[in-house]
Amino acid sequence: MTSIDEFRSKAIPDGYYSDLTAELEKLNGQLNAFNGINRLLDSGYPFSVKDNICVKGVETTASSKILSGYVPPFSATVVDRMVEGGFGFLGKTNMDEFGFGTFGINSERIARNPFNSEYVAGGSSSGAAIATSLLRYHVAVSESTGGSISAPAAFCGVVGFTPTYGLLSRYGLIDYANSLDKIGIMARSASDIRYAFDVMRGQDDYDTTCVSTTPTSERKSRIVVITQLLDGCDKAVVSSFEKLLDRLRNSGYRIDYVDVDFITSAIQAYYIISMAESSTNLAKFTGFKYGYKLDRFIEPYNEFFTEARDVFGPEAKRRIILGTLVRSASVRNRYYSKALKVRTMLINKLKGLLKEAFILSPTMPILTPKVSEAKELSPVHAYAMDAMTIPPNICGFPHISFPYDYVGGMPLGAQIISDHFNDYAVMDFVSEWEKGFDYRFKYNLGAL
Amino acid sequence: MQIETFRGDLLLDEEFDRLLHICRLRLGSEERSKIKAQVDEVIEYFDAIDAIKCDDLEESYHPIKIPERLREDAVKEFENVNGILKNARIYRFYVVGPKI
Repeated sequence: MTSIDEFRSKAIPDGYYSDLTAELEKLNGQLNAFNGINRLLDSGYPFSVKDNICVKGVETTASSKILSGYVPPFSATVVDRMVEGGFGFLGKTNMDEFGFGTFGINSERIARNPFNSEYVAGGSSSGAAIATSLLRYHVAVSESTGGSISAPAAFCGVVGFTPTYGLLSRYGLIDYANSLDKIGIMARSASDIRYAFDVMRGQDDYDTTCVSTTPTSERKSRIVVITQLLDGCDKAVVSSFEKLLDRLRNSGYRIDYVDVDFITSAIQAYYIISMAESSTNLAKFTGFKYGYKLDRFIEPYNEFFTEARDVFGPEAKRRIILGTLVRSASVRNRYYSKALKVRTMLINKLKGLLKEAFILSPTMPILTPKVSEAKELSPVHAYAMDAMTIPPNICGFPHISFPYDYVGGMPLGAQIISDHFNDYAVMDFVSEWEKGFDYRFKYNLGAL
Repeated sequence: MQIETFRGDLLLDEEFDRLLHICRLRLGSEERSKIKAQVDEVIEYFDAIDAIKCDDLEESYHPIKIPERLREDAVKEFENVNGILKNARIYRFYVVGPKI
């Protein structure tokens, strides 16, 4: 039985929702999970929405000052479908500005890990993962471009699903990189994810990139581990991961180590493509149409736009500059075109492996860092932390990060990948795992 | 004409300033030196893909094939135009913007 069915089978006491949101408000002061909590919630199974996904009448900022005060006049298709499916909107979750980050620290209010607030929550869907870790009954509608669901799911010890590119409508998503963005789901179990996925999926006339393909559930008895990915991991991560492989071997899976010597070039290709696309997407934020207003309309437009864009954070500025550079005529072939070809090469290679197997890796190459440690990383070092999550994201493969161990009281996540549209297979894999492994949570707000 | 963008591995200062202008971004001197150094470091990192041999492959603009699906060429009224306008300053049903 899913938690959703269980919740719906129970009598909900008077004051349940107001008590829940009050408790959440208190914890939110310490952990910064939500940018806004819906104190008017009074029915439905609670679901949260990442703050780059529009909810009609609710301020939606993508955690950026340049969108402060923006109130969308419509809801994203996925939000409408959740509400129609009997879910109740709980609030907007915190994130790295526009999705630009791996640790949840590129936000004015730094996201904190619910296991220990000195540590990062991961990003960019940091608030979605924290909320999932705090709440007994809840699903999070989140979004991934290069690992923004897997990374926080791993650091916060929850299950994070990123579907095949195109399976969930993106109408109402504030774009980061159009050829990479995927709306996905976080929950405390794969069965809850499957439930929410079925509520949200299906073709959408408002999103021409949304496909109507029915996902499959083709189980694989072979698991491939890419050696070059393990080479870049901390020893403690590898040691725990090897124990996971032993358990899977004992459950009947065949484990094969495979070399993909160019796999780490996915990082460069991803950042080139995503920065090129994000630099164009952010061009529309000019200080007069989307909430934030500079209010100096007397200035000529160049000066006006330039002054308005001062409010972008440093990571957004870096990405706009680099994205504009890699699209420049003089270097386009050297960077942008090359990156698109590397993506083709990766898809061809990994698709070949996924015909007969799943691909499994640790979700993150390091143990959860402290906030202070993450802040010290240079951009290049921070980008390199996405080595495991980028390959399935740049190729659009469905994948799930699930907790599989706890080291020093903090969770560790592994990531299972399948071929395009075999989305149910990764959910089934994790459901099977959950039969023999109990996830740990420090909080259980809203338990009945 | 090929425009010179780099000197060695470093982005030319004038090219960096040209980018800032195109992006409509301005940086204080301290922020400029910091971000310029980081941009140089990232570009050097990006250069690693040069070693990958894949020039004969096609470019993937999407990770999957997206079937061409066009909507009807017909006007569809948006029911909440006032909601759009509320996000801007309005004068007589026009959005107020800077001088052109």
